[in-house]
Amino acid sequence: MISQNALHHAEKCRFCWMCRHLCPVQHQTGKELNTPRAKGLLLSMVHKEAQQFDKDMAQAMYECLLCDACTNDCATGYQPPLFIREARTEAVVSELAPESVMHLIDNVERTGNIYGVEKPGFGREGTDVLVYIGEAAAVKAPEMAENLLKLLEKAGVSAKVLEKEPASGVMLGDLMGYTEEVRQMAAVCAKALNETKLPVVVLDSYDAEIMTQKYPEWGFEIAAGVTTATAFTAKLLAEGKLEAKAPLGVTGACHDDDRLARTFHEFEPVRRMAKAAGYDLTEMFNHGKLAKSCGTAVAWGYMPELVTRIAGGRWTDLTRIGCDTMLVANPETWQCLSLCVPEGCRLVDLFGALL
Amino acid sequence: MKRILVCVKAVPVSAFVEVDSQHRLKRDGINLQWNAADASALEAALRLAGEDGSVTVLTMGTSKLESPLRELLARGASRAVLITDRRMAGADTQATARVLAAAVKKLGDFDLILCGCKAIDGETGQVPGQLAAALGLPCVSNGETLEADPDGLTITRRLETGTQELRGRTPTVISLCAYSYPLRLPGILGMRRARNIPVEVLNADDLGLLPEQCGLKGSATKVLAMESRFPGMRRGPKETDLTLGAKALGQILREVRP
Repeated sequence: MISQNALHHAEKCRFCWMCRHLCPVQHQTGKELNTPRAKGLLLSMVHKEAQQFDKDMAQAMYECLLCDACTNDCATGYQPPLFIREARTEAVVSELAPESVMHLIDNVERTGNIYGVEKPGFGREGTDVLVYIGEAAAVKAPEMAENLLKLLEKAGVSAKVLEKEPASGVMLGDLMGYTEEVRQMAAVCAKALNETKLPVVVLDSYDAEIMTQKYPEWGFEIAAGVTTATAFTAKLLAEGKLEAKAPLGVTGACHDDDRLARTFHEFEPVRRMAKAAGYDLTEMFNHGKLAKSCGTAVAWGYMPELVTRIAGGRWTDLTRIGCDTMLVANPETWQCLSLCVPEGCRLVDLFGALL
Repeated sequence: MKRILVCVKAVPVSAFVEVDSQHRLKRDGINLQWNAADASALEAALRLAGEDGSVTVLTMGTSKLESPLRELLARGASRAVLITDRRMAGADTQATARVLAAAVKKLGDFDLILCGCKAIDGETGQVPGQLAAALGLPCVSNGETLEADPDGLTITRRLETGTQELRGRTPTVISLCAYSYPLRLPGILGMRRARNIPVEVLNADDLGLLPEQCGLKGSATKVLAMESRFPGMRRGPKETDLTLGAKALGQILREVRP
């Protein structure tokens, strides 16, 4: 059941093949099927009843990070992730989604996160802002979450964290598309955040994206506003509430995560944080708006081997420019890049580096 | 509220659509989406119907709408009806309302009939009123909120200068403003359920309508001419400087609304 709107995006390709050159999954697998264009063509064929939506096709729809690199450079201005998400919904409805994906969906329905574990609590009282930690940070990068909270304390910001933080819906949305089940999960989260009446500082930009882009579309907004943790930290630096450190004499490169780069167009705050932490900066190929994805927590969940290779590709980008220090401020990129740190290279959490 | 009928219309996804020699929108080969105001009407109906009631969606268009109608079943509608007949092509609002009214009569008694206040392609907003007239029912236009109790309905209407609260009895026809009720998404279980619900298809003969009552022949009005107000998309020079661009935009807005 692919919507007419999604088909509109799938069928308007001019065959410029730009997305083929940008797709980080295609780079690693070399499979033609892993270009956004090919996925659009497949869905178009299904719509024209020239092809069955089968297990192989469902598998192809999951070999995508939903990183939006293709959207960013689409000559026609169309959005492949829009129809890829709907194809995932179709795969789940038809019971054709890969076993590994169904296992993660079960985990999310049971625990709110793909890891299938009870989310560690970071609960604390505060009056200035509400910090939303998110599933990936709480389970896979708890040090980054602790570092952010310590940093806010250092800056004199009274930060509240919910004792039982509800899931934002971003993980389920990536696994089975934007369905009513995801919307209901988001509604619970929005209600809990709004009850605090505090502005929300979101550590994981993937959570920030769904809160700012999809929640309003679904009929609920975060009334006091949503800010990414990186933008908030950069503001604290600009206001002099956090002090810059002495130069370290170390050159590092910031990895722009997909959402900060392409949804929020936020490049400067991470670099300001890096400079304040004492690093000299250099840039990798495909940074800023063209940032190459290093994987996501959800994709790691059902295709860990491929995500490790994709993250490895980002490390290659780093060493290619003669640099050995990767600077990150997102728990999901931290999780993926830490899978394969090359010998002699370092992965740095910028929140920790500023402490 | 037990039985609710919602009239929905499929409108072009893109704003760039062509018209034929008779000034009708060319709908072949373009992708369609449900009109935003009709989506609000459906959500309002689903909330009023709750677990016990039923919501029927009714549309008029090409046979290609069967699949999009199934999407509305997945969102919670219990029955979907498609009126499709080449003889109905080119209908104006009155001919459309006549066909819809015939379908409503055939489908049975409804406590409430909801429509969107207007479709984004035609922008007339006339069908809800004409439908009510054809059915001999009262009509409330531009509804923003709807609440039902055992004695009737409370409706908040959007006016140009404010809002108005009304009380009314059923059955009645109410048109809803776009985005007043954000439509729920299709759920996984809803999509599985929708696969097993047939979309009912009706034509002019099923509705007992003569060819001269439908389509162009049955229309009281005809579009004689159309003119594009702005020739070309880019009217002014391209401005790449943000500040100058904002100033230019401000100037245009002042021209439109001094």
